[in-house]
Amino acid sequence: MKDSPRPARRPPPLFRRLFIANRGEVAVRIARGCDALGITPVFAVSTADRDAAYTQDRQTVCIGPGRPSQSYLDAKALVQAAVQTGCTAVHPGWGFLSESPVFAALCEAHGLTFIGPPAHVMHLMGKKTPAKQAMRRAGLQLIPGSDGILQDAADAQRVADAVGYPVLLKAESGGGGRGMRIARAPDEVAAAYADAQAEARAAFGDPRVYLERLIEGGRHVEIQILADRYGNAVHLGERDCTVQRNHQKLIEESPSPVLSEAERARALAGATAAAASIGYVGAGTMEFLLDQDGVLRFMEMNTRLQVEHCVSEVRSGRDLVIEQILVAAGHPLRFRQEEITLTGHAIECRINAEDPSDRFRPAPGTLTRWALPAGDPDVRVDTHVTEGYVIPPYYDSLLCKVIARGDDRDAAADRMIRALSELHCEGVPTTIPMHLQILRSRAFREHRYDTRKIPGWSA
Amino acid sequence: MAHVPLVPLGAAREQITDERTFSDHREALGEREHQLRQRRAEVHAGWGDKYVARVHQKGKLTARERVARLIDPGTRPLEVGTFVNDGVIFGDNLRSPGAGVITAFCRVEGRWCMVIANDNTVASGSWWPRTPEKIERAQTMALRLRLPTIYLVDCSGLFLPEQSRTFPGATGAGHIFKKNALLSAAGVPQLAGVFGDCIAGGGYMPIISDRVYMTEQAYMVIAGAALIKGAKSLKMTSLDIGGPEVHVHQSRCADVRVPNDEVLLRSLRAEVARMPSSAADYYRGGAGSIDPLYPTHELCGLLPPDHREAYDANQILARLCDQSLFWEVMPEVGEEMICGIGRIGGLFAGIILNRQGLVGDPEHPDRRRPGSILYRAGIAKIAEFSRCCDADGIPILWLQDISGFDIGAEAERQGLLGYGSSLIYTNSTNQVPMFTVLLRKAAGAGYYAMSGLPYDPVVQLSTTIARLSVMEGRTLAIATYNTKLDDDFEIVAATPEERQAIAQGMKAVERRIEQDMDPYVAARQMDTDEIIELGELREYLAALVEMSYQGVGYRRIKNPRIWSLHDIAVLTRGVR
Repeated sequence: MKDSPRPARRPPPLFRRLFIANRGEVAVRIARGCDALGITPVFAVSTADRDAAYTQDRQTVCIGPGRPSQSYLDAKALVQAAVQTGCTAVHPGWGFLSESPVFAALCEAHGLTFIGPPAHVMHLMGKKTPAKQAMRRAGLQLIPGSDGILQDAADAQRVADAVGYPVLLKAESGGGGRGMRIARAPDEVAAAYADAQAEARAAFGDPRVYLERLIEGGRHVEIQILADRYGNAVHLGERDCTVQRNHQKLIEESPSPVLSEAERARALAGATAAAASIGYVGAGTMEFLLDQDGVLRFMEMNTRLQVEHCVSEVRSGRDLVIEQILVAAGHPLRFRQEEITLTGHAIECRINAEDPSDRFRPAPGTLTRWALPAGDPDVRVDTHVTEGYVIPPYYDSLLCKVIARGDDRDAAADRMIRALSELHCEGVPTTIPMHLQILRSRAFREHRYDTRKIPGWSA
Repeated sequence: MAHVPLVPLGAAREQITDERTFSDHREALGEREHQLRQRRAEVHAGWGDKYVARVHQKGKLTARERVARLIDPGTRPLEVGTFVNDGVIFGDNLRSPGAGVITAFCRVEGRWCMVIANDNTVASGSWWPRTPEKIERAQTMALRLRLPTIYLVDCSGLFLPEQSRTFPGATGAGHIFKKNALLSAAGVPQLAGVFGDCIAGGGYMPIISDRVYMTEQAYMVIAGAALIKGAKSLKMTSLDIGGPEVHVHQSRCADVRVPNDEVLLRSLRAEVARMPSSAADYYRGGAGSIDPLYPTHELCGLLPPDHREAYDANQILARLCDQSLFWEVMPEVGEEMICGIGRIGGLFAGIILNRQGLVGDPEHPDRRRPGSILYRAGIAKIAEFSRCCDADGIPILWLQDISGFDIGAEAERQGLLGYGSSLIYTNSTNQVPMFTVLLRKAAGAGYYAMSGLPYDPVVQLSTTIARLSVMEGRTLAIATYNTKLDDDFEIVAATPEERQAIAQGMKAVERRIEQDMDPYVAARQMDTDEIIELGELREYLAALVEMSYQGVGYRRIKNPRIWSLHDIAVLTRGVR
């Protein structure tokens, strides 16, 4: 007797319906992961996004007006919508509520699996001093500074003298640059401490201040981590995001062109072990500052997927959204570290509807023409826009991300230049001209830049 | 995935109070809390530097130094009974700071323990009036929560001039050893370190412990050399009579000899490390402790120090519960009471507190009536909630700011006495650990109904603005001068002189009550366990809740799926 034919291998049974608590390019990216796994994505949309092309033929639920505080940031409304649409998991994407431990806890309290780390781990990494202490325990290098909160001005003086000038005093509960003061010499410490404390008390009701050496310039390098619930963690290499404008990343690439092999190996192993040691689950990124001595110093951990995750996907051939969903459903990691091979060089350019010739003024409007480069398998474009798309005024102005791969950095950069030249956008100004100028510049090709200076661009 | 429908609670400070009011409150309270820190420091200093030096000279550590070395690095002891005997004078102008003993919840090797340490800077650790009671109270807390109990013994016996107040009664010193026995009988681990004198009664305290360590300076004797006939001519010391040479090797009343204090404390830590680890993390079910969204230290600007001023009780909860998430149970009824579930330190606790300001009146839908009073539905609600938590094994936190029961003809007709008795029966027979906090007012039967100390909460804490009394001074003055007052409580007097006399008399009554309501008075006579800063409240509560979940197997802890609270929630919402 012949064996009955086996059905084709299908994805493992998972969440049937997954709620996407995000919009635009993020939502499209997550939905692609869902499609691959046979999960029905349900899109949360604000009234501003309700009619956008990317939601066509998709299940959507309107969660409020265009203003983010009344829609994509309204945790209660999102949880309610997820429950009512029969979803069992929530993907927060990046931005919006993706790093809110309250949102994560609220999802769990109402029967929804939050796709991200446990709330308390997110909370731990969101608090500066505890996060750094945890990372130090795990063996990562930190920016030299106080061991936690400063006791008083004398303590500040002592620590500042020990770590060397200039130093930066920072509010423990700070953010957005408030409660921050620089002291460039010993006689400036007392005043800077008092000012930082006063501002921190006024702004956050919490006068606690810590101190670290101010590293000016340097390069921004980050490590992509993936961990499961069972203590397994792997890295997918590093990304160099040094090309920035006011802390806004413009170009990301992997590998970092300036990192020494020894430092790379040390940091990758350290970051992976650190993630496991704090019970991290899911995709996350450890951000480092590469100082003048070539040492990577831990700054913070982003407990979510990042915009530039595609760079790591292109080099590793792994889909991070799919892995995130599987891990959230309790699957052990499907691969060990030695099964991950990183090949070639990948570069990502973020294309925004901004006018680089007019101080990067955001330019909402209608895309009268939109044509993407086609035909090159080594060029990937992640986008939610199509011709005729109206850019809403409420959100960031990202139009698309272009990711190019090459055998080496120059090959990737050249391919990116070709791709961007074939990307046609009319109706709104874009940052494409700036990217082309950067990619063609000698400063970029010869690594002569840091986070303060955009290579090949002066504006 | 057990269903506990927590929802966000509270709002940012800017949205609920203006800067001026906030800082006024904070300042008023800050002054009291500054005073609290000062008064604590005074107690911590014992009899002062001279006596600290004397201890060091003997090559020993002070009791506080011992505690500091015993506990986990980076933690602090959470004391109870700091102000017992505060301000009381004995004999020849002697004081007994902390009643000469430190009792504190301490984290040792990750486990919460009760540490009882004779303060060797106060009369060589001797026992004063209320010292036995303070030790017994700590032992009772340990017994209720099954906390490993560690005795750091250095005690020269009873302070004999006051022996009639410490020796004979039902809670006399000997009752400590009965508690030792009861702890042992209940399977609670007890460890003793003997660091010095351990005379008479002191000798029994370590003996019942599972493991007894002695330093080379320690001795345990029924009677010291001073009482032994002929000891002088034989040059016999108490150390010869009952030192480690005798007790470790001959009598076997102690287990291990160690050279000094430091080694003994390390040994005790090693013993605790051999005990079962805490189950708290198991009961967290994958969750962890997460700070409230709104910082706890804001409480000191949100709770008005004037007890007559109202505030939004939800804002208090929002600054105590993890992530400011809370599930209010039965919100539809008894609006004057808030009860529900929140996580504190990652563990579920049932919380009951009084709503302030005006609340609805179900009998008169058109009227509002003052909160912070127990009306019929509120009493029934908290009684049922208390029973449910007991049935479900959820520790209960009672946060009191209560003026008392509703009074008047309607209240009596509704049978508040009966409903109150049902509540009292419930709280009296509950097995689940209960903890009470006197946030502000703790008046009359309300104090009893919400599990004040007479109803055996494991611990009762007071803030610096707690007001514990049968009634406010003004009310008592009215009651006292009832025959001289009219319907509106205005004075009825024939002459201006008489009016003045009555007014003065009433003022005097008010003043007297005001003084009695001082939380330090309550703490001195053990009517409350500790006075704490509002900013410490979450730390204390998180510790107490964690202790409630530390042990396994001795009390019912239901998983949230099978809580009877869910039944109540469904029934009160109306079955659909």
